[in-house]
This record gives sequence, C-alpha cells and structure tokens, in this order.
Amino acid sequence: MQLAARRAGGLLAGATSKAVPAGVATQRTAALSAAATGGRFSLEKVDDVAVVTLDDPESKVNTISTKMQAEFSELLDTLEQDSSIKAAVLISGKKDNFIAGADIKELDNMKSAADAEAASKMGQAMCDRLANSKKPIVAAINGSCLGGGLEVAMACTYRIATSNKKTSLGLPEVQLGLLPGAGGTQRLPQLVGIQAALPMILTGSPAKPDKAKRMGLVNEVVDPHALRTSAIAAAKEIAEGSLKVKGKKKNIVGRILEDNPLGRMVLFDQASKQALKQSGGLYPAIPKILEVVRAGADNGPKAGFAAESKAFGELTQTEVSENLRGIFFGSTALKQNKFGKPEQPVKKLAVIGAGLMGAGIAQVTTMKKMDVILKDVNEKGLSRGLNQIQGELDKRVKKRKMTPYDRDAAMSRIVGLTNESAWQTHFKTVDLAIEAVLEEIGLKHRVIQELEENLPSDAIIATNTSAIPIADIAKGAKRPENVLGMHYFSPVPSMPLLEIIPHEGTSKEVISKAVDFGMKQGKTVVVCKDVPGFFVNRCLATSMAATTGLLVEGTPFEDIDKAMKKFGNPVGPVTLCDEVGMDVAMHVEHTMAADLGVRMTGGEPKLLQALVDAGLLGRKAGKGFFVYPKGKGKKTVNAEAEKIIAKFKRDGPKLDEEEIQKRVAYPFINEALYCIQDEVVATPVDANMASIMGAGIGIPRGGPIKVFDRLGQKWVDDMNRMADLYGEQFVPAPIAVDYAKAGKTFL
Amino acid sequence: MFRKGAERTMSTAAAAKSAPSKKVVFIDGARVPFNLASTTYKDKISYDLARIAAKGVVDRTAIDKNAIDYVAWGTVVQEVRTNNLAREVTLGAGLPLGIPSHTIGQACISSNQAVCTGAEKILAGQADVVLAGGSETFSDVPIRFSKPVRERLINANKAMKKGPAGILKLLKGLKLSDLAPEPPAIKNFSTGEVMGHSSDRLASRFAVSRQDQDEFALRSHQNAAKAHEAGYYKNEVLNVGGSTEENCIRGDTTMERLQKLKPAFVKPHGTHTAGNSSPLTDGASACIIMGDDKAKELGFTPRSHIKSWNFVSVDPFEEMLLGPAYAMARILKANNLTLNDIDVFEIHEAFAGQVLSNLAALESDAWCKENINMDKVGAVPFDKLNQWGGSLSIGHPFGATGVRILTTATNRLHQEDKKYALIAACADGGQAHACLIERM
Repeated sequence: MQLAARRAGGLLAGATSKAVPAGVATQRTAALSAAATGGRFSLEKVDDVAVVTLDDPESKVNTISTKMQAEFSELLDTLEQDSSIKAAVLISGKKDNFIAGADIKELDNMKSAADAEAASKMGQAMCDRLANSKKPIVAAINGSCLGGGLEVAMACTYRIATSNKKTSLGLPEVQLGLLPGAGGTQRLPQLVGIQAALPMILTGSPAKPDKAKRMGLVNEVVDPHALRTSAIAAAKEIAEGSLKVKGKKKNIVGRILEDNPLGRMVLFDQASKQALKQSGGLYPAIPKILEVVRAGADNGPKAGFAAESKAFGELTQTEVSENLRGIFFGSTALKQNKFGKPEQPVKKLAVIGAGLMGAGIAQVTTMKKMDVILKDVNEKGLSRGLNQIQGELDKRVKKRKMTPYDRDAAMSRIVGLTNESAWQTHFKTVDLAIEAVLEEIGLKHRVIQELEENLPSDAIIATNTSAIPIADIAKGAKRPENVLGMHYFSPVPSMPLLEIIPHEGTSKEVISKAVDFGMKQGKTVVVCKDVPGFFVNRCLATSMAATTGLLVEGTPFEDIDKAMKKFGNPVGPVTLCDEVGMDVAMHVEHTMAADLGVRMTGGEPKLLQALVDAGLLGRKAGKGFFVYPKGKGKKTVNAEAEKIIAKFKRDGPKLDEEEIQKRVAYPFINEALYCIQDEVVATPVDANMASIMGAGIGIPRGGPIKVFDRLGQKWVDDMNRMADLYGEQFVPAPIAVDYAKAGKTFL
Repeated sequence: MFRKGAERTMSTAAAAKSAPSKKVVFIDGARVPFNLASTTYKDKISYDLARIAAKGVVDRTAIDKNAIDYVAWGTVVQEVRTNNLAREVTLGAGLPLGIPSHTIGQACISSNQAVCTGAEKILAGQADVVLAGGSETFSDVPIRFSKPVRERLINANKAMKKGPAGILKLLKGLKLSDLAPEPPAIKNFSTGEVMGHSSDRLASRFAVSRQDQDEFALRSHQNAAKAHEAGYYKNEVLNVGGSTEENCIRGDTTMERLQKLKPAFVKPHGTHTAGNSSPLTDGASACIIMGDDKAKELGFTPRSHIKSWNFVSVDPFEEMLLGPAYAMARILKANNLTLNDIDVFEIHEAFAGQVLSNLAALESDAWCKENINMDKVGAVPFDKLNQWGGSLSIGHPFGATGVRILTTATNRLHQEDKKYALIAACADGGQAHACLIERM
C-alpha cells in the first residue's frame, strides 16, 4: 500500500511493482481508454503504449478459459482499432503469476475429441491473432508462466521475464497426459530449436529465467521492479523500429540436425527412443508430441498447427489423460486440512534420532525455511545425520537447484544436539517433537517420558514408527492426547506422502496442528486409523506377500519387476524390497500377517527371513535380490538370493505379464478397498492418493481405486477366479462386491 | 627512539579508566577444532569455519537469534570474495538478516579487538548483545598475479576492443618471470621483516636461549594434550564432522626432537625453529557478550566479567612483539592490581622466544624503569600460565586466537575456581592487547 501511495504521488512514475494491483496503477495516468468488459483486463495508456493488465477477479491466479478468451478478443479489437496505440504490453496484476495455464476443470468437461479439438483451435486462433498483430506486443512475465500462459507469451512479439525466483516458464501439459494445444508444440521449436524444445514439452519441466534467456525463450531478464518500465520501453522501441527482435541463432549442430529432413530423422529417432525408455510406453501423449512437433518441422506451421489440435483433441479423451487429471484433482483436494486451521500452528520442530529418517525429516523442514532441532544420543550419530543432509544439499547446489547461500542458511537452521549438550534449554521452545529412534517400545517410552519432562505441556509428541501401534506408544505418555504417529516414507526428501495417525485419545487440535505442519513441509498428508501398517504398508504388504509367492513359484525377478513397471509402478516390487530393506519388509510382513490373516496368504513367509539371515538386506547392504555394484553400474540378479529362493520352491503355473500384474496389484487394490470399507482412511480419494504418493501404484491407470472403478464387476469376477485358482487371499472385499453390483464407483 | 614510541602508547578504551555502571559479561565461547593448514579444512574457506563457530556458540547458548544486535569479526588474510567477512558469517550462520556486522583486521589481535569493539558498543549503549569472533584459513590464501600481469588484465577489456592489435600491444613488454604468481606477503609492509626474525632478535636481546624456548614449546604441547585428555575442552571445542581433535598438538613430542630442528628465520645461529614457533593453522572461534542487565533479562548466567582492556602500540622496528609487556603492566596499574592478584594467565604464544622475552622484560628492573617508568612488574608464575596449552601447540589461526584465549581464560577460572585472569597477546605491527577478566 505504501508503494501504491507513493506511486499515486508520482514519485515513482513509470516504475512498477509486481504486487501493485492494476486498479491502483490506472489512477496515475489521465489518458485512460476503455477497459474491456468482464473485468479481467484493464488497459492503461502510457504515451502510445497500451499496458494491458490481466487480473482475474475470481481466482488467485490467471488462467485461460473460454471467458478469458472472449474478453481478450474484445481487448485485441480495441488495440487494433485505437490508432493512438502503437504498441502494447501484456502484464499480470497477480503476485508471482503471469498465466498459470488453461482452466483444467473446463478441459475435464469436454466430452468429445471434436469439442476439445475445437477448443484447441480457438486457443490457436487467439495466439495467432497476437502473433500476427501489426502492433508489437510485449509479454511482461513475472511468476509462473505455464501451459497456455507460455503459449500466449510465445505468440507475443517480445518476451521479458523477471529474475524472481518464482518465475518459471514451461509447458506441463504432458503431465496431464496432453500436449500444448494453443500452438506451443510449434512456437517453442521455432523459438528455441527442436533439440531444446523437445525435452521441455516431453517432460513438462519448466525453465527458470536465466535458462529461458540462454535458450532464447525470452529476450530479456529484468529485476521484478523494472518489469513494467522495461516492457514499455521495449514496446516503444520495437514500434519505432529502434529495437529489432532477433531470434536465437542456431549453432552448427542445431543446423545439421534440425534444418534438413535427414538430420531431423536422426533427431526424432533418438528422442523417440529416449522418451519411450523413460515413459515405458505407457503415456500416449509422448509419441503424439513427437509426431506433432515433427509434422510442423517437416510440413510447415499450418500442418503443424492442424496436427496439434487434432492430437490435443484425441489425447483429452484418452484414459491416461483422464486418470492423470483425476490424480491432479485428487492432489488438489488433499491440500485442504480437513481438521481445520490450527489456532497455534507449530513453529519449531525437534527430531529425535539422526538416522536416515530423522535426518530426512530435518532436511525437508529446513528446506522450507523452518527452524529444526536434530538430536541424537552422541556426536557420532548426530554428525552422520548432519553429513547426510549436507551431502543432499551439496548435490542440489551442484545441480544448481539451490544457491550456496541457501544451502548454508538451511544447514544453519538445523540445531544439532546430543545428550551431552544442553538440549533441555532448546526444547523449552519446541512445539512438535518427532521421535525417529529404533523400533523398540521400551526405548520409545523412555524417549517420550524424557520429552514430556522437557517440552512445553502443549507440545505434540509424534512417533515415526511404522511397526508399533500408536496407542501402545501413547500408553507411555503422561499426556496421551498430545501423541500421534507421523509416518514419513523413505527417502523423506523425495517421497511426497506423510501418513498421520492419531490414536483414539489424540485431540482434534493436535491432529490439525500436525496435518498443518506436514503440509508446510511440502508433504501430501493423509490421516489414517491406528491399524497395523497404517494405510500404505498395510496394502503394500499384501502385494509383497504375493510377490514372494511368485518368486518361490519360479517367476524370474526381472519378469515381476518389468510387469509391474508396465502396470505403471515406477519401481517393481522385487527392487522395492531391496530399496526399503529386506529386514524392514520382513518386519512389515510379519506384523501384517498377524493382523490380516488369510488376506496375507499365498506368499512364502519364511523367504524374507531366510534372506535377512543370509545378510541380503537390500541396497543398503549392497545386495538383496539384486547385487548393487559400488559406484556406478547396473544392478544384477543375485545368484545367492536365487539359491535361497530355490529352497522354498513351489509348483506354479507359468504366468503371462497380465496375470503377474493381477497377482501383485490386485491384492493391493483389494486391501485399499478394505481400508475404505473399514474407514482406515476417510475417503476413496485419500486411499487413491496415498497409494500413488506412498507406493506409486498404477499412476497412468489413475491409481488403484481408479482401476477398480473402471473395471467394476469385471474386477470382482477376476478376483473370484483367482481365489479359486490361487487361494482365499483373492476373495474380493465386500465393499467391492457391493459397489460392483450396484454399478457404483468410488472416485 | 622506541621510548618515544612507547610514550605514544595509550589505552584506547575509556572503559579501562572510568568504572562504568554497566558491566560487559561473557556468556560463552567456542572454537572449531584448530587444525594445521591444508589438512582437515583444506576444502574450506575462512567463511565456512567462521559460520560453524558462530552457529556453534549460538546453538550452545540457545540464545534467541533475534536478540543479537551486532556481529564483530576478526580476520587477517582476506579472502576477496568475502570482503566483509562478518556480514557473510552473519548470513551463512543463519542469523536474522537485520544484524549489522563488520570485519576487523588488527593482525593477531583481530578477534580481541572484535570482542572489545563489541564491549565498547555495549557500554556506549549501541548494542545489548554482540556476537564476536574471528577466523583464519591458510589452506586457501589468495595468490595474486604479478603486478605487470595484473596491470594488463585490468586494461584487457579496453585493449580487446581494439582487436588483435590491441591484444598484441597488451602483451608487449611482458616477461616470462612476470607469470609467476605472488603469494601473500609474510613480511611486514613497513619494516620489511618477517615476524620470526623480529622475535628472534627480541630473544637475543633478552638472552632467551634455544633450550628455554624448546622447553617452553614442549610444555605447551604437553599442557594442551593433557587438557584435551582431561576433558577441559569439552565445553569449548565444537564437534566438527564428528571430531573435536586438534591436530597441531603433539603431546608425545620430546626435547630431543625439538632440539634437532634447524633455525627457521635467522640462519644459521638463530634460535627460532618450526618447533618453537606457532604453526600455520586453520580455525575459527566465537563468543557471545552482553550487558549484565541484558543477561539478567534474558536469563543467562554469565561466566565472566570482561573488566578492563587495553590496546598498545610499540616501535615495530625494534620491538615488534614486545607489546604484551607494556599492555600487561598498564592494565595491572590501571586496576590497582599486582601479578600476585592474577590467578590465571593466558598469553598468546606466537613464538616461545617472544613469550619468554616479554616475561623477561616484566621481570627486569632496568627495562621497566626505562620503558614504563615503574619498578619491575615481577615474574609471571609458570604454574598459572597457559595451563591448557597455547598457540604453539593448539595452533594459531591469526584471527581466531583472541577469542580462543578469552574463552579458555574464563573456562580456566571456573575449572580452577579462581577470581582473576589476565590475557595478553602481541600482533604484527608492534601492537598488543591485554584484558582483565573476573569470574562470575
């Protein structure tokens, strides 16, 4: 406001701030021309430059919708007709947001390929109008400029981006199973070359301002405060002809590969192979993107645009795209704290135990600019943990994902303490303590008692157990209402899920604070009931049991992993055992077998034990089902493991890929449905998202619950067939039978 | 001539003279383990060590970071990227962005000056809580191009614009020998003498023998090793990367070994060797000081009262490292104390010969009469001196030594259950510092 007031006084005439609302800005100049209807756009004239501010009054961010396009079209009419306007600047009135992309809800409502194709054509037409404008239009970009937003920007004459950390330019459509439908597949290669454009469109990962400048995506990078003045100056200079807009010159390699059909054949061939490898062929958008970009390169823009809108239309109707959009909406839904905003949110976290998990929890906390205490018994344990974090952050600095200062400041926000230091003083200001000590109930009780003596009386004590019931742990507490479980997944920095497990006596306020804090750590939080395995491990255990069954039946490791990757899991179940550690997997298996009984049968319960006894603990030991070479190099099947498996050999039919998938995935799905039925999680969305984020189950299929929703009775029949064939563990959950019979879906 | 110099000597701190109502108190101090240059910290710059020390003491005291008003930081060999090192330390240690910070360069008493500057700020009402410290690394000193190359590089931009001809012109007159880099000067700029030489001369003047020096060095190593073994440094040396070991200390060294070493500065008959001189060391130390009123408000129990201090300058050409004798005499006089009143002495050991020369001066009637116009100050008892080792054994990262000595003196007062500690240190340029500390 202060800034706005100064602006009104004319002190900062011509300067602008990203945060100044358009309404304030317009007060300054007398020469105001009419704003378009609808209120998204306002137009202000600075000399002969029209500064067009986009500020959607109905939303926190600007999006491209039908309404927006209609208003934009009116505005372009004004620009073209008003002869006193020589050039224009397109700028956003939002903080840290230019245009976030297309309105996905709107997209979801398009029920046919033709509808979607028409929508794409409309977007293309809007961008064409910008691109063909006789008056130069400068895109002034601060904050997120994604999808349709970048397509609009690319259609402008000139692009200026701010050096703001929040500024990023990208085409993330592929992450929703789509491709950019408003000319992006054609304009990006034109601007930056095919080689640089393909990774951006194929992975959807955005470019930061500096990189955008280097690759030729933007013409200028300026300080946020200088955006408006620079954009106006550029617009003026282009209109006058004193600034010539030059494209980025291609280097020799670029010319050889991109500017002739033979080179392009090599280029697309390579790109296609690589993309196929990375996506496992599960995402139809990938080949479409390659096809469409190539169409433009080989046959010219007209053919390219036509191919783009056609492909866009088709992709909107694919199951994969619908699934991915479903996941997107699911993750948006999970951003809400169902327990309400806490009155006094957690400010300071203490993590007890600087092991792999404890250090990981500390890392994600400090990376979100929150203070955190990391305590271990002794200096040895503590420095191991601190070194782990330092190493992780060093890696980020090396990859330029973090500045050295941010790393140092992040490390400095961690207060490392041991039993020998005066930790009690620090704990006086802690409001959440998460213990990540060994899974031993006696030890956990001791830790909790010690914490209760030293923490403020309203501090939350969370346990990061994955094996012990929270209620049992809370029994050791004087104030059990302050105790709950916070179950992070390993490695904490890269696993997005956090399960929060209240026991029956946990207070609502405590749950709400813990959920709130987990979200601040950047986690997707799902609240689960205090049952063995909570949600993810509970479901995963059935899959693991099934996997051990397949193994002793002689199914090759790699066949199982390959089949499950094709199902859409990023990691196969055999590799997953090695990753989480054989001992951990075994522990989960035993706990769950006791609780789930018949639902855990069909496996070979003694197999994991035998592997653990032989020291095949998985990646951390360098060997498990696979052998992991030190340094770089591919893992290979461990003959030692094969020998142990052979001891448990059991006869079984030879299975095709689909049957392997069903054997492994369906028990997971069944258990997830049981969890909905037994209210282990609150909603089917929770169950689905937790499965995706915690175990990566069937992502292109939309997650396990979506798999059931699509199949319904077919799934139930299949389960009954398998129950007859392999055993009772495949008997479908009653809720599944009911839903299938009634033709209902969960999501 | 040096007499005149001595007369110019004056206490800069008004605090030494008037008795202020506010006391400056020492809350706690810490250092990273001091290690020989190019060993443990070979990949770290001064800034890295500094922020570990600064954060270490902040964490140890559990002080609210927002309570810190000022950061004063000492360093000698400047890393050009961190010109105002104090500011980078403040940022890198994760302290609030709004803390003014400045760097102090006063050779080996830089961090003593950081503490005293902080103390003076507190007394002047400019700050309540000051984080003071110092750091040094010799593992990565800035090495410059020679002057002819520097000159050309600075003009390169202009010359390049003129094309190939300009570049040729730029290279004209450049000799092959100009390409040799220039290490940072170890000679004093004004005297043109290295400190080892100055100290060696001082030892000859006060008849301090090689034997005396080697014995003093041996004692330093043995004391330091004992102190570590006894765990006296547990509350002082921070754990860095899982270790509190300080690798300069050679508890097992012998007279035999020390006596085998050749003179390092004055050859062949000098008495200063690598064994009785302090080694090039990497390290950092930091402490928190505040007004006694503020300490009470924040609930801290201070460990000591920084009662009185001074800085002196003497003739650097003749008695470069003899400043401590002047400073100690003066501070005792200003506080109406004698050597007998002092329980703990912590004297910086730049060279064994330098410490012993200073002690000899204080014991000499003639020297005291002539130079400080008083009867002899007396003999500093060895059983009170540097009982936990000194710069000869622990090492001497220039900018970090002052806060190490202050912290050790305080901790010794507590360990030995005594009242007064006197610390003193010499510095390049003929400067010196003394400080009187009272246990709280």
